[in-house]
Amino acid sequence: MNAMTMSAPERLLDVKGLSIEIDTRRGPATIVDGINLHVNKGETLGIVGESGCGKSLTMLSLMRLLPNKIKVKSGTANFAGRDLLTMSKSELRKVRGGQVGFVFQDPMTSLNPVMRIGDQICEPLIYHKAMKRADARIRATELLRLVGIPSPAERLDAFPHELSGGMRQRVMIAIGLACDPELLIADEPTTALDVTIQAQIVDLVKELRVKLGMSVVWITHDLALIAGLVDRVAVLYAGTVVEDAPVEELFANPSHPYTRGLLASIPKLSDVAANRLSSIGGTPPEPGRRPLGCPFAPRCQLAEDICRQSVPPLEPLGGSGPHRVACFVAQRQLEAA
Amino acid sequence: MQGEPLLKIENLVKHFNVRLGAFGERGATVHALDDVNFEIIEGETLSLVGESGCGKSTTGFTILNLHQATSGKVIYKGENIATFDDKAMRPLRRDLQIVFQDPYSTLNPRMTIGEAVGEPILFHKLCTKAELPDRINRLLTDVGLPPRFAGRYPHELSGGQRQRVAIARALACEPKFIVCDEAISALDVSIQAQIINLLLDLQEKYGLTYLFIAHDLAVVRHISDRVGVMYLGRLAELATREQLFANPLHPYTQALLSAVPEADPVLEKTRQRQVLQGDVPSPLNPPTGCRFHTRCPIAQEVCAQTIPEWRQIEPGHMVACHMVPGGLHA
Amino acid sequence: MATIPMTPAELDEPKTSLWRDAWYRLVRNKLAIFGLFVIIVLAFAAAFGPYLTPYDFLSQDLDARNAAPSWAHLFGTDDLGRDVFSRVIYGTRTAFVVAIVVTAIAVTIGVALGAMAGFFGGWLDRIIMWLTDVTMSVPNLLLVVVINASLKAPLAAWMEAQYMATLNPFFRETIWVDFILVFGSMALISWPPYARLVRAQVLSIRSRPYITAARALGLTTRIILMRYVVPNAVGPLIVSVSAGLGTAMVLESAFSFLGVGVNPPTPSWGNMISDGLRVWQHYPHLLAAPAAVLGLATVGFSFLGDGLNDALNPRGSK
Ligand SMILES: Nc1ncnc2c1ncn2[C@@H]1O[C@H](COP(=O)(O)OP(=O)(O)OP(=O)(O)O)[C@@H](O)[C@H]1O
Ligand SMILES: Nc1ncnc2c1ncn2[C@@H]1O[C@H](COP(=O)(O)OP(=O)(O)O)[C@@H](O)[C@H]1O
Ligand code: SF4
Ligand code: SF4
Ligand SMILES: [Mg+2]
Ligand SMILES: [Mg+2]
Repeated sequence: MNAMTMSAPERLLDVKGLSIEIDTRRGPATIVDGINLHVNKGETLGIVGESGCGKSLTMLSLMRLLPNKIKVKSGTANFAGRDLLTMSKSELRKVRGGQVGFVFQDPMTSLNPVMRIGDQICEPLIYHKAMKRADARIRATELLRLVGIPSPAERLDAFPHELSGGMRQRVMIAIGLACDPELLIADEPTTALDVTIQAQIVDLVKELRVKLGMSVVWITHDLALIAGLVDRVAVLYAGTVVEDAPVEELFANPSHPYTRGLLASIPKLSDVAANRLSSIGGTPPEPGRRPLGCPFAPRCQLAEDICRQSVPPLEPLGGSGPHRVACFVAQRQLEAA
Repeated sequence: MQGEPLLKIENLVKHFNVRLGAFGERGATVHALDDVNFEIIEGETLSLVGESGCGKSTTGFTILNLHQATSGKVIYKGENIATFDDKAMRPLRRDLQIVFQDPYSTLNPRMTIGEAVGEPILFHKLCTKAELPDRINRLLTDVGLPPRFAGRYPHELSGGQRQRVAIARALACEPKFIVCDEAISALDVSIQAQIINLLLDLQEKYGLTYLFIAHDLAVVRHISDRVGVMYLGRLAELATREQLFANPLHPYTQALLSAVPEADPVLEKTRQRQVLQGDVPSPLNPPTGCRFHTRCPIAQEVCAQTIPEWRQIEPGHMVACHMVPGGLHA
Repeated sequence: MATIPMTPAELDEPKTSLWRDAWYRLVRNKLAIFGLFVIIVLAFAAAFGPYLTPYDFLSQDLDARNAAPSWAHLFGTDDLGRDVFSRVIYGTRTAFVVAIVVTAIAVTIGVALGAMAGFFGGWLDRIIMWLTDVTMSVPNLLLVVVINASLKAPLAAWMEAQYMATLNPFFRETIWVDFILVFGSMALISWPPYARLVRAQVLSIRSRPYITAARALGLTTRIILMRYVVPNAVGPLIVSVSAGLGTAMVLESAFSFLGVGVNPPTPSWGNMISDGLRVWQHYPHLLAAPAAVLGLATVGFSFLGDGLNDALNPRGSK
């Protein structure tokens, strides 16, 4: 796209123009609208956005796990040189749970309640790595130890309901890691957990990604949570990426009005305790009810006429560099400066 | 702390009897709330924080007599309302209101917004039928909703809008005291800020007193006058906001504070966190002595044997720990 | 760039109610609409059929016995030369009357017992649930056969005696014995599922946060029951009643087939199937006509029930 390719790191996952549609009573509605995303080798990408903005569906679509009425309309998703969206079913099965590990939002419902956790961890090992049952169990024990479950050998025979929420999420992570994936996708893995347990899981993933040298996509609605965890952040709003920047840059110089509003509305422990919080008025649009131009325009204080007519493209701020933003005004302000 | 206490909670205990086993053959007791003492002062916001299952909601529900207290007192206007039956409570319900965590399930799906908000007004005969539409309009405007929403059903509103309806409904009775049980926890960050601001505005306008139940310390720091920290059915620490955040005394409070992520990558990457290990033990069988001793980084032998006393360290700052100066082991 | 062609004015379109939404989902469900159509046609036949049928269900045409379907006799005739088409239509009436009356009795018993069990709990709940379990564990047919065998003769004798004593023609109609026994015994075996459903509904609704919220407002138990519990429990009940009507029709046919249901000559699909089965190798139409209509009715009710189930559940996915 630009001349910045000189030292461009290798892209492990490269999603281009991904659109996802749902059948509604008013006809098809776009939920995810031409998203561009990429994850470099060894990088941790944070995807932030409010509930319903399409975070989970984006990731599910990559593994072609979308629910019934929801379909990918266009786009490509290049993973290690092949398109996930068009590859054959058998190739895809090798990728799922093999090269790409998944950790889901709700550890209560994503584990099979009637199967011992040991068997659930062994399953991908036997399927993808063609391991013998006994070997797989040894590896499963190692994995449980790796994710910090005490006395792992005994725990292999436990059922999910015998574990606490935090431990179940650790088991989910162990399953995600079973086949040494190149990419681990974690969809709000700590949202259902307490802060103290959340801190444990965040520390665990930080440690593991260095130890195993994998890329991680961490989906969340909590900007504060990923501040210390990820290398780069993509901010989603109503099914579009509105800003994408290295984490320090994003926090130091948020450019999209939505990102700014979001950051301002997070109460912090460290600043002066003012009673009122700054907030963004209004609510995000429902899918199928999005405005014509910039999806944020109805809530944006800076909105101009052009914002209501055309969709601002996601472009590097100031023409080049890794900080990209989809906002007419932010782009123009920078030009003027 | 200046001001009159609106509610006094004395030695409040709430145990749930549950049946365990595949056929419910074993009886057991959930120690949801044990020997809790504090006051709620008129016009203040008192927050309760702690991990899930530590008894925050139970405290709120028991104070409002939505759960029958096992023992202990809740003193309101000189009377112990913990022993009141439904009928005796009914006139008091006007004064003591609650807003729940999950805005999706606390509204009757078959009632319109207007009906939901109007119902308590009519029930408590706060105005005539003719004045009702006006009254509903005013309430909806108060919580920042357009009056035309009165005809809509809950499923047609977003989570933040429903929470506004729930607040309007609580306000309809012109209460003095509102328990906000995780009233913002299920909402998105940008909506959370809106609702917090709304609650603060209403407090100012109507002189409300809040018991604000939450698990997010950063939010709590912004809106409370005083904060109580709970662990496994007991209060661990209670202090003014300034005292608690500047000088947390209880090891559990310190651990909670340290677990809160900060929206600042530079700070986060260098910060030394004290991560609490393990999980909260089961309230079916809480640890002896100090309930925190199984996870406490500085626990001593005495902690497993003796329940730490609930004592005052400085004016307005209460704590229950043997290792805080003045305790059994310090 | 892909955008949604929708202007802000459209975005603010008036929204619909829960029931209208459900109706919308229902009409989009082709199977459910098919079911609804079948039921409407059959109900029409049950209500007005007797005025429309070409022949009386009893009129015999001994010259045309066991005739194959023709323009004169759409479904042919039976061994007494009676028009099968007319009999099937009369049978529809029997089936609907039995299904509706039986379901009404069963639902009334079930709702009353289930609601009490769920709302009051404790020993009342245990007794009612015990009763439910016992009723469900006795094989249905056995129960019906026993009731019929033991009550039919005494009841008929009693009616006879009443007639002799009062000369009231009502007591001469032995058909009432039939109906009372059929209705009674079928309702007796049909109520437990309704009781269970209503109890489960009430139990789950009782613990919904909006009930707690209503209590926190100080509302009385009566208001809470009327405005919160009942309206939220009717949805699943409607679904189950729709399916239950179909089941009742099958039951009635099964009992008639076994000779413990509606007695000849009152036309009933079960009777006709039973008769047809004896001669089906020679006269397949005598079996095919009632069986097909019974099948159609059951399928119709079950499709409609399924459709209602999906439509009344806003998260509607199967
Ligand atoms: N199975 C489904 N049927 C219909 N709509 C769906 C379904 N799953 C998701 N959606 C809709 O698609 C949009 C995006 O959903 P998605 O689950 O990706 O959101 P998310 O960003 O992951 O939100 P959250 O933070 O709540 O997990 C939402 O508007 C949601 O209502
Ligand atoms: N109705 C109930 N029956 C049995 N146990 C309950 C009931 N309500 C709450 N509990 C238990 O009491 C404890 C405290 O619960 P709660 O007050 O809801 O916690 P919090 O609000 O702090 O998350 C938990 O262990 C919970 O499981
Ligand atoms: S493009 Fe316009 S409406 Fe959209 S965020 Fe930028 S200024 Fe606001
Ligand atoms: S009493 Fe002991 S165990 Fe409890 S918090 Fe204090 S030091 Fe820790
Ligand atoms: Mg999600
Ligand atoms: Mg709670």
